[in-house]
Amino acid sequence: MIEMALVIEDLHFTYSEMMSRRKVRSQGFLNWRGLLGAVLEDSKKEVLSGVNLKVKLGETICIGGASGQGKSAFLRIIAGLAKPTSGCLYYFGEHIPIERHNALEIASRQVGLVFQNGALISNLKVRDNVALPLRYHGMGTEAEIDDKVNMALDLMRVRREADLFPHMLSTGMQKRVAIARSWAMDPKLLLMDEPTSGLDNYNRRNLLPLIDNMRKLFNTSIIIVTHDLLIAKELECDILFLHDKQLSEPHSFDYWLKSKEPIAEELFRDLQAKT
Amino acid sequence: MKNYVVYKKLTLPGRFFCWLGVVFLSTTFGQQFTLFIKTVASIFSRNRNFKTDSKNIINQIFFTGIEIFPVLFVVATLFGTVIIIEVITMMNKVGFSDVVGNLMVIVIIRELGPIFTAFLIAGRSGSALTTYIGSMAINSEVDSLATMGVDPIRYLVMPALIGGIFAVLIMTILFSFSGICAGFLTAKVLIYFAGDMLNVQISWSYLSTAILQSLTITDFILVIVKPVLFACIIITNASYQGLAIRKDVRQVPKATSRSVIYSFLYIVVFDVILSFFYIFQYFGEISKII
Repeated sequence: MIEMALVIEDLHFTYSEMMSRRKVRSQGFLNWRGLLGAVLEDSKKEVLSGVNLKVKLGETICIGGASGQGKSAFLRIIAGLAKPTSGCLYYFGEHIPIERHNALEIASRQVGLVFQNGALISNLKVRDNVALPLRYHGMGTEAEIDDKVNMALDLMRVRREADLFPHMLSTGMQKRVAIARSWAMDPKLLLMDEPTSGLDNYNRRNLLPLIDNMRKLFNTSIIIVTHDLLIAKELECDILFLHDKQLSEPHSFDYWLKSKEPIAEELFRDLQAKT
Repeated sequence: MKNYVVYKKLTLPGRFFCWLGVVFLSTTFGQQFTLFIKTVASIFSRNRNFKTDSKNIINQIFFTGIEIFPVLFVVATLFGTVIIIEVITMMNKVGFSDVVGNLMVIVIIRELGPIFTAFLIAGRSGSALTTYIGSMAINSEVDSLATMGVDPIRYLVMPALIGGIFAVLIMTILFSFSGICAGFLTAKVLIYFAGDMLNVQISWSYLSTAILQSLTITDFILVIVKPVLFACIIITNASYQGLAIRKDVRQVPKATSRSVIYSFLYIVVFDVILSFFYIFQYFGEISKII
C-alpha cells in the first residue's frame, strides 16, 4: 500500500454532486422524509459507477476516452474539487473519507492539478502567479522563492514572459506557465488535463521529455487525461479508457493498437489504418 | 450517504434538533453565517503572514474606503445642510428649539450616517467584490487556488472583510463629521445668499454645544458597533454571492444585483434590531422623569 500514490476503490459519482451547492435540499433531507431518515438515492444520472484505479509512485498513466465520458470530472474528483457519492480513496496510503474530501485537504498532500485552460490568476504577473502558492505556504525566504520561480520558468521556457500578465500570453504559453506553477510546488502526484492541446509540435516535443524527467528525477506520479494518445507511446506508459462509466484495465499502447475491443477500435481507427 | 447513517442513530428530539440545524445551515443566511465564521477562523490559520496580509488589507481599505470618499463627502455635506436647515426652521416654528441637538444626533449620527455609508459602500465595493470573485469563479481561478492549497476564503474574503470593517468604520465617522461641519458651512453660505427669505439664525457654538450635550455613551458604542456589523454583512454577502456562482456568465449580473439588494435588506433589518438599545434607553429616561 505504501508504494501506491493513489488507490481508488469502487468510486461512484452522480451529476447532482457536481451541480448544486445545496445538495442537502435536493436529496430530500429537508422534507418530512428526511426527518424520518429515509434515503433517497438518485442513481439514474451516474457519471461514474464502480471505478477502480491504482497508480504506483513514479508511474505515469494516460486516461483516454471519447468526449463527455467524464474524464475531466474524474480528474476533478481526484483533485478534490468534486465530492464522490461513494467509494474509497487512498492518497499515498492514507485514506481520506468523503466528508473530508475537499481540494485543500488533498492539496496539502502534494497533489497538483493543471487545468485545461491554465486557470492563471489574471490580475497577477506570470512571476507572481508561480510564486503565489510558494509565498502562501511560506516555502523558504524571498530569495529562495525567486530562485525556484526562475528555475520553473526556465524549465518551461517562459522566463522571457515573466513580467507579463496572463492575458498577454497565448493559450499554449498560459498552459506552460500553469505547468511551471504546479511544478514549483514539488507535487508528488500531478494531474494534467489535456496538457498538449493548444501546443504546437515543437513545444509538445519539449513538454514530453520534461514530464519524463519529472518522473525519473523527482519520482512524481502523473495522471494525464488526453485525447492525444501518442503521448502514451512516447512516454511508454499505460493507457486506460473511461468508457460506459467504467475504467478499463491498464495496457500499453501497442496492446491497445492490436486489440479488438470496441473502444480501442473506435479510438485507434486512424492509427490502425496508418500502420 | 454517511450523513443519513449518523442521522438514524439519534433519538427523536436529537433528530429534530439535527434537522433544525441542517435547515438553518442550508438556507442562504445560514451559509453566509458559515462563510463569516470560516473567514474569521481563517485569520488565525497556519499560513498567516503579517507582511503580505497587511499589504492586502491596506489595499482593500484604500479600495473600499478612500476611493469612495469624494462621493461620500458630497452626499454627507448636502445631506447635512438639508437636515440642519429643515430641523432649525421646523423646530423654531413649533417652539421646540431646545431639541435641535437631539434631532441632529438622532438623524445624522445614529441612523442615517451609518446606513448611508453602508449603502454607498454596498453599492460600490460590495458589487465590485461580487464581480471580482464571480469572474474568478467562472474562469476556474478559485478552483485553481484551492488545488494549489491556497484557501480561497483566506486569500480573497479575509482581507476584504478586515479592510471593509476598517473602511466602513472610518467612513461612517467621516460621514457624520462632514455632515455636521461641512453641512453647517454650506447652510451658512445658503443663509447668507438667501438673506431674509429663510429667516434662520444659527451659530457654530449653539449647534456644537447642542449636539455635544445630547450625545450619550450609547451613541459612542453604537457608532462603533453599527459600522462593524454592516461591514461584516456587506462583505460576507458579496463574497458569498460571488463564490456561489457556477460556471455561467449570466449569473454574474444576477449575483451582483442580489449582493446589493440583500445587503440593503440585511442592513436595514439589523439596524432596526440595534435600535432596540435606544428604546431601552428611552424607557430608562421616562422612568427617571416620572
